[in-house]
Amino acid sequence: MPTATILSKIKERFPGAVLDITEFADEHILHVQGQDILLVLTELKVDGFNFLADLTAIDNLNLGGFERFAVSYHLLSHKTTERLTVKAYIPEEKPSLPSVESLWKTADWQEREVFDLYGIKFEGHPNLIRIMNPDDFDGYPLRKDYPRLGRKERSDFPVIKRPFKKEKRTE
Amino acid sequence: MHSDDIKPNVLTTTLESAVNWGRKNSLWPMPFGTACCGIEFMAVLAARTDVSRFGAEAIRFSPRQSDLLIVAGRISIKMMPVLIRIYEQMPEPKWVISMGACASTGGVFDTYSVIQGVDQFIPVDVYVPGCPPRPEGVVEGLIKLQDLVGKEKLSDYSLTPTK
Repeated sequence: MPTATILSKIKERFPGAVLDITEFADEHILHVQGQDILLVLTELKVDGFNFLADLTAIDNLNLGGFERFAVSYHLLSHKTTERLTVKAYIPEEKPSLPSVESLWKTADWQEREVFDLYGIKFEGHPNLIRIMNPDDFDGYPLRKDYPRLGRKERSDFPVIKRPFKKEKRTE
Repeated sequence: MHSDDIKPNVLTTTLESAVNWGRKNSLWPMPFGTACCGIEFMAVLAARTDVSRFGAEAIRFSPRQSDLLIVAGRISIKMMPVLIRIYEQMPEPKWVISMGACASTGGVFDTYSVIQGVDQFIPVDVYVPGCPPRPEGVVEGLIKLQDLVGKEKLSDYSLTPTK
């Protein structure tokens, strides 16, 4: 089944979920509501997009778009080698959407990464904790309103001196 | 024993010189390699530059058996507590070489998660510039450190913690 047919079928089946279907550089992009992402991706997996190549997020702070955050799923069909991008939009006030870890195990760590850097919560994820930043880290650094140089976390450590060496060395 | 027998066999010196001579010619490095500098440091040990010529070939991956910490690579905010713990585990006397741009200044990684120079938090004796430094540069740094160790005075140290 060609991708365009699959997408129109999805739109028929979930009229409330699909926001838009666009095409860019010969590849289709499906824009959906965040809350319905698990239903849509379950259907797409049945339709042949069996491989989750990547999962990431976008902060549309000043870029427009349906909502502030978009979680982006990059699917690949091993049978037809066609690719499809699904963007799930979620609002700033409640940045959460269902986890797709039940469909693809690879989503486990990738959703943790998105959670770590964007603060987007994935409902039903088995172990949603920070994956790269320290556990006591405060804030979500890949959000556009996070300062590039951080909030002094890189200079917040105790200063260690040589305990048995008298100050101060020569020169 | 006759004094003629003693002369060619006995050398008189100060305790300080003897201790420093021993320390500087048998540094035991602990490499803290977190990035490409760690890879480059391996070349320092290999045949071409060969730090065993300077008595520093006994690499130990345990801080408790080392007296020279070589910080090789960028240190993230998650790694800094580990580095501090490792530094504190090393027995005195101990020295630190900051190898490369990242360990010394943060290098090109001017971002929230990278420490902008480990010398803000732990004492550094010798900085080796470069990105990464060539092995010859690290050997140069090691020789500089040997000079520093050779100039140390026993009175620089106290028997109780100074702080």
